[in-house]
Amino acid sequence: MTAETIIQSLASGLLMGLLYGLIAVGLALIFGLMDVVNFAHGEFLMLAMYVTFFLFTFFAIDPLLSAPLAAAALFVLGAAVYLLIVRFAMRAKANVGMVQIFATFGLAIVMRGLAQLFFTADYRSVPNSWLGGKTVSVAGIYLPQPQLFGALVAIAAFGGLYLFINRTDFGRALEATREDPGAVALVGIDKNRVFALGWGLGGALVGLAGAIMATFFYIYPDVGASFALIAYVTVALGGFGSVFGAFAGGIVVGLVEATTALILPPSLKSVGIYAVYLLVVFIRPRGLFGSM
Amino acid sequence: MTMTRRDVLLGATAAAALLPLAARPQTSEVVIGATYPLSGSGAQVGVDAQRAFETAIDIINNDQDFDLPLAKGAGLPGLGGAKIRIVYADTQGDPQKGRAEAERLITQEKVCAILGSYQSAVAVTISQICERYQTPFISADNSSPSLHRRGLKYYFRASPHDEMFSAGMFDFLDAMKKKGAKANTLALFHEDTIFGTDSANAQTKLATERGYKIVADIKYRANSPSLSAEVQQLKAANADVLMPSSYTTDGILLVKTMAELGYKPNAIVAQAAGFSEKALYDAVGDKLEGAITRGSFSLDLAAKRPMVGKINDLFKAKSGKDLNDNTSRQFMAMIIMADAINRAKSTEGEKIRDALAATEMPGEQTIMPWKRVKFDESGQNNDADPVLLQYVGGKFVTIFPSQAAVADAVWPMK
Repeated sequence: MTAETIIQSLASGLLMGLLYGLIAVGLALIFGLMDVVNFAHGEFLMLAMYVTFFLFTFFAIDPLLSAPLAAAALFVLGAAVYLLIVRFAMRAKANVGMVQIFATFGLAIVMRGLAQLFFTADYRSVPNSWLGGKTVSVAGIYLPQPQLFGALVAIAAFGGLYLFINRTDFGRALEATREDPGAVALVGIDKNRVFALGWGLGGALVGLAGAIMATFFYIYPDVGASFALIAYVTVALGGFGSVFGAFAGGIVVGLVEATTALILPPSLKSVGIYAVYLLVVFIRPRGLFGSM
Repeated sequence: MTMTRRDVLLGATAAAALLPLAARPQTSEVVIGATYPLSGSGAQVGVDAQRAFETAIDIINNDQDFDLPLAKGAGLPGLGGAKIRIVYADTQGDPQKGRAEAERLITQEKVCAILGSYQSAVAVTISQICERYQTPFISADNSSPSLHRRGLKYYFRASPHDEMFSAGMFDFLDAMKKKGAKANTLALFHEDTIFGTDSANAQTKLATERGYKIVADIKYRANSPSLSAEVQQLKAANADVLMPSSYTTDGILLVKTMAELGYKPNAIVAQAAGFSEKALYDAVGDKLEGAITRGSFSLDLAAKRPMVGKINDLFKAKSGKDLNDNTSRQFMAMIIMADAINRAKSTEGEKIRDALAATEMPGEQTIMPWKRVKFDESGQNNDADPVLLQYVGGKFVTIFPSQAAVADAVWPMK
């Protein structure tokens, strides 16, 4: 094992990790806001990838340009899912937790089925995007441009989200609702609007991730499943509800995955992630940066 | 006097003619189950398989002029012209779901035979259920050698298995070496279910026997979100020949990651699966000019056997795709099963099994480059010759063995 291999692995792991973080952060945001786990998160990602794919195929819009469009589309979807499904699931008289799990889980299955019905089961990909297949090579280390760009977008999105939460009225309302959804009603904040905004933001973030992923990953109706699992681990690892935790958790997952693949046979590379995850939830059940 | 099914059928046909339309009993039909991944990561293959089966039963159920068994005349003459109906079951590529679905097909849907199943891991469980219920099973497109070595009586496979395929691949490498090509070191890259594992085992055995050096043997997790660590190891090993055994999703990601990490092997010789799927070449074909895959089917054959081109047209009208390694074998599996049921003149599992065991179908009556279809004791057809195909200029050309080849191999790949 040469130094080059190790550095290359760490670099690949870091780039992938930032993307994992970007996928997970929407999940963390919604969870932090209202204690709801969106089990259709992977399907949101899948849909964003299809949006990007179709914008490219029919209108020749490069994923770089369509990323904001995918984010906007997923913002609308996220808000709609809250207003049309989750809001009602939360009103259940009994087993609210279970009802909301089944609601979003059911949504995931419906979304997968509809995707296969309308988009067919074929594997798609965006063949010649501006970044696709291009690589920057620094001292023998290859940094694929799509992932590099993804990492930059992820950092920018985390920064933007941080500013949004801390500097805007909406952000403060978001924080306040998260702290005490009952009390905010007294000061005139519409809880439903804030929750819908949270879901919209969560969708927009995973929409960005999907647009970037469409430049280097294949697209098919079930594509969300493997990334969603990693996103759940990332959120649990980073700390439930902590946006910063999702960011850090993503990086940890990416690096652990890459180093495990160096040490163990590659078929066991996810063992490292789950081992670290188990260790963290044993020692610190709230996750690395969780505050609950 | 005992009454056979045939008598019942004749009686039913006679009665049907006399009865008024509304009271007429259902036309007798033969129900065959097909177990494929219709959702999940293998769904595309399963959906294409449905089109392949529909093409086959179109030819069987209607009167068509092809030199295939049962093409002429409508339906199965051995069963009074009964038509075939297919019931599909979705395995999602999961062995446990495959087991449950096979059981449902047999007990609820009353199918008399089952075809399947793309993933070899799923074929393992389905064939066990079929054995228990004495229902014949044809492995249309499963290539793991261990499948027919389990002493099952109801298991049949008309197409080659990976040891035959791999032997063909190594025969080809031997021939290339003789011509002076550099092909001494190999990198195996295989997924971690029975397909990839069996394929790598067969390749390892052959490499040792024939004096090739395996410089990397990478077993990776199927449907991994990233393959960059794996590709780095391939790149570090820098073998003369890369030999992947991957399904479509992993194949696409492999080729993309190779390009991103600046790894360009001299030659790729793939164990089909994803590397015979159009989807993979649509996604990354520009990076695969000159890639070689083993196969059991080649459209080139249409030049010698015009029927192949016509059947391909029928399939293309349904699916928008050309027949490939998988769909051609699925098509043949249905023809072979229907032929056996017809000769059995029965839908009883045991009789169909015996008819399958007695199959003797000349290669010219198939759409494959096979010598013939004849099953040995274990249910394997040993006269199914594999071919090697090279992806050149956006399509596959047959390059090996010499009697089937239409072009010389381009080596190294571009």
